[in-house]
Amino acid sequence: MSIRSADSVLSLETIDKTYDGASKPALDRVSFSVAPGEFFSILGPSGSGKTTILRIIAGFETPDRGRVVMGGTMVNDTPPFRRDVRTVFQSYALFPHLTVRDNVAYPLRMQGEAKGPRRAKAEAALALVEMSPYAERLPHQLSGGQRQRVALARAVVSRPKILLLDEPLGALDLRLRQQMQHTLVQLQKELGIAFVYVTHDQGEALSMSNRVAVMRDGRIAQLATPREIYFEPRSEFVSQFVGRSNLVPIRFEPAGSDFVAVIEGTRLPAITSDRPGPARMALRFESVRISPRNGVAGPSSALPGIVEDILFLGTNCEVAVRCGELSLIGSIPAERDTTLAVGQPVHVDFDLTSTQVFRD
Amino acid sequence: MGVPTVYRQSLARRIVSSVNPVALPVYAWLALIVLLPNALLIGASILKTANGFMVFEPSLVNYVRLWKSAGFWTLLGRTLWLSFLACALGALIAYPLAFYVGRVVRRHKGLLVVLIILPLWISLLMRVFAWRMILGQSGILNTFLVSSGLLDAPSAAFLYTPTSVLLVFAYIAIPFVFIAVVGAFEKIPQALLEASEDSGATALQTFRHVIWPLTRRSLAIGFALAFLVTVGDYVTPSMIGGIDGTTIGMVIASQFGMSNNWPYGSALAVVLILSVAVILGIVFALCPSRGILLGDEGVKTARAPEGRTERLGRLLGGCGFTATVLFLYAPLAIIILFSFGSSTLQAFPIPSLTLRWYGELAGNAALIAAAQRSLLVALLVVLVSSVIGTAFALILHYGRVAGSRACEIALALPLATPGIVLGVVMVLGTELFSIPSGIAKTVIGQSSFVMPVTLMLVLARLRRLDPSLMEASQDLGATRLQSFLHVLLPMIRGAIIGGALLGLTLSADEVMVTLFLTGSSPTLPIWVFNQMRFGFTPSVNAVFTLLAAVCLLAVLLSSWIAGRRKAAV
Ligand SMILES: Nc1ncnc2c1ncn2[C@@H]1O[C@H](COP(=O)(O)OP(=O)(O)OP(=O)(O)O)[C@@H](O)[C@H]1O
Ligand SMILES: [Mg+2]
Repeated sequence: MSIRSADSVLSLETIDKTYDGASKPALDRVSFSVAPGEFFSILGPSGSGKTTILRIIAGFETPDRGRVVMGGTMVNDTPPFRRDVRTVFQSYALFPHLTVRDNVAYPLRMQGEAKGPRRAKAEAALALVEMSPYAERLPHQLSGGQRQRVALARAVVSRPKILLLDEPLGALDLRLRQQMQHTLVQLQKELGIAFVYVTHDQGEALSMSNRVAVMRDGRIAQLATPREIYFEPRSEFVSQFVGRSNLVPIRFEPAGSDFVAVIEGTRLPAITSDRPGPARMALRFESVRISPRNGVAGPSSALPGIVEDILFLGTNCEVAVRCGELSLIGSIPAERDTTLAVGQPVHVDFDLTSTQVFRD
Repeated sequence: MGVPTVYRQSLARRIVSSVNPVALPVYAWLALIVLLPNALLIGASILKTANGFMVFEPSLVNYVRLWKSAGFWTLLGRTLWLSFLACALGALIAYPLAFYVGRVVRRHKGLLVVLIILPLWISLLMRVFAWRMILGQSGILNTFLVSSGLLDAPSAAFLYTPTSVLLVFAYIAIPFVFIAVVGAFEKIPQALLEASEDSGATALQTFRHVIWPLTRRSLAIGFALAFLVTVGDYVTPSMIGGIDGTTIGMVIASQFGMSNNWPYGSALAVVLILSVAVILGIVFALCPSRGILLGDEGVKTARAPEGRTERLGRLLGGCGFTATVLFLYAPLAIIILFSFGSSTLQAFPIPSLTLRWYGELAGNAALIAAAQRSLLVALLVVLVSSVIGTAFALILHYGRVAGSRACEIALALPLATPGIVLGVVMVLGTELFSIPSGIAKTVIGQSSFVMPVTLMLVLARLRRLDPSLMEASQDLGATRLQSFLHVLLPMIRGAIIGGALLGLTLSADEVMVTLFLTGSSPTLPIWVFNQMRFGFTPSVNAVFTLLAAVCLLAVLLSSWIAGRRKAAV
């Protein structure tokens, strides 16, 4: 999916931003475009600049360099209240002195809509997030999840073209979070609003988005679809950050005209390179297969090891296996009577179809 | 009537058994220091006097007299109107100022706040006296106008008018409104303002729909504080108001003094209190507060970079702030300056500097005696207030006292009573027990409003403590006393000391209540007040300067302790 800035609702062009008094730039040459109705996620560790991007799009900060373009016009100097953008704040930012309905109707009121239509639209937006019964309450009389939904209704009530969400589910418990993820995706499809969604939860980003930008230290480390990010991470950083994987040191040694990867003395003919020398291989937990040794010889590319530790996680188990110098973690489906036990000798081999190799 | 009797008995027993014996001292204070004196005021207002003595013949004659007196209505109207207008004026200045300090200023915010509220700790007498020096016929304003040729001869029009009272009341009101509102401005989460802007609101709309609803209640509180202080102030009008600036407070004071008609004075006080309650009720109704800030609306982030309008606003705010600070401090600075001037005339230019007036103080036996008395009273008041205030705070917090919240409010009632009313109330209360005028009476009277200060400070501290600390200590084998000494006391010590220092300045500056209680043994401010009535000596400047220095020292000390405590926690 490639998007030219012509048919995008929003594009950032080489944005730089350094806060007053900061030594390091918060954003460094950040560029991307968002298509109409796209669910675009920004994923990254704390302090990587995610919030800064949103604040620049909303107009609360101005970039030092670069352009913010919306609907074909540059908006760098447009104040927030004239941008067709709404924000769902991480903290909800509901007005404590206004009822739920008045909170939701607030943007319409600011645009000078008459009371009747204002009320009707607010009711409709509340219905969208299933909060109609709470219209008369004040924010402090709601639970966290309910406040979240009101904030969402307020943000979409005037049908902006772009909705910015800054870790909107951060304060919710796991169940509510999953429920809200479904609500969000549904809402986004129904309304056709482009979402720019900030999170540091990779599961959230991968499950909901059309595209994901992974941030690191103010730069975009990778911008791609969730599948690409997951299966073809372009750097160690991305592979470590997205999904759970082992980073295994390997060596490429000559084998015929090519060079083949060697782990702990075991050759992996499936992985080849045109250069010799050390490298690292990212192995997802679920690509590590573990089987009891039981005196049987394993496949030739298997490593012998000893089970060190087993973590029961519900749907699956994470098993730590020591193979000589290496400690590998594999994820296996949890069964009622697991056949593995701590101290047991096992074979470890790999599903190498989606493995990435990184060199320095 | 068998059933009701049984019922009544059981009710009585229930009440008795529900009274927590631990709380008895609290109830005793409440009854003796707060409720009884106020009841006496109402009681006295329905009595009569004959030949200078009260006659126990209940009737509404005093109220009837008031009702029929046109002069009284003018007086009441003027009193309330003067205070109201002055406080509104003060609010008009202090509200934008608080916005500027609370939301616009980025650096040295704490310092700016202190700068505005510091005058609260300067003796009221000193401030009023300073204005008299500025506005008087041979005062600075006249001198300036004449010497610059704007006036041919000094004008008497500045002093002894309702306008001068208005000016000084507004001057007094500014810090009160400011201190109440600045916190409200600071507490508004930045995210709310951004959410509003994000919703398409202009700055003006954001103010109207978000900032104003979230700060108006605090504004009302600040207004009420200033209103209570000014409406109960009979010293300021008597010193600078003249005939047309007479207020009801002055009349009440004279009923308890020269005119010696306590019942009539009491009726006046009751009517004053009721009218004040009505006015403040209306003010609060006009400034409702809705909803609760949950504290999770988001941290404050730095403001977006500013455009031309913001910079202009910042500049205007800075100018307004500077002007207000000048307005607040210029009178005080003038007094301090003149205390070092060699001339007996209070006019610029000052011929030469001298310490002569300070030297004269040292030789004034009456003054030294008054100062010593003041110190003794202040120490006693602080001792009583610290011990009792702390004890009461502990009782109310840990004692499971029924209605502890109501108790707390009732105990703090004297703080919210206009000065003149509290003065006469304490006169009535101490008179009932035949406590002679002088130190004992003064200590009781002042403790009535200093004790609640310590109580509230310590209670606030206790409420912020982890409730399981005491339990943890006892769980670890400490007795109650040991837990108190080793765990609780070190943590509330700062609040107690802060309360004590505050009490010290309150006691050392107090005039309204004290004036009624000292009799022939005045405290320092009362002595100065009497001196000023008889005429002016430049030594007064020196006394004020010294008093201000001592009070500021106490304030600095207490804020330093508070700051250190905050850093430690
Ligand atoms: N107002 C500010 N002044 C100075 N530096 C700031 C300011 N706001 C953010 N920064 C810095 O800019 C960088 C990016 O911050 P940003 O808030 O965008 O991170 P984030 O990715 O949203 O992090 P998180 O996941 O913790 O919310 C950080 O290093 C941060 O310390
Ligand atoms: Mg953030």
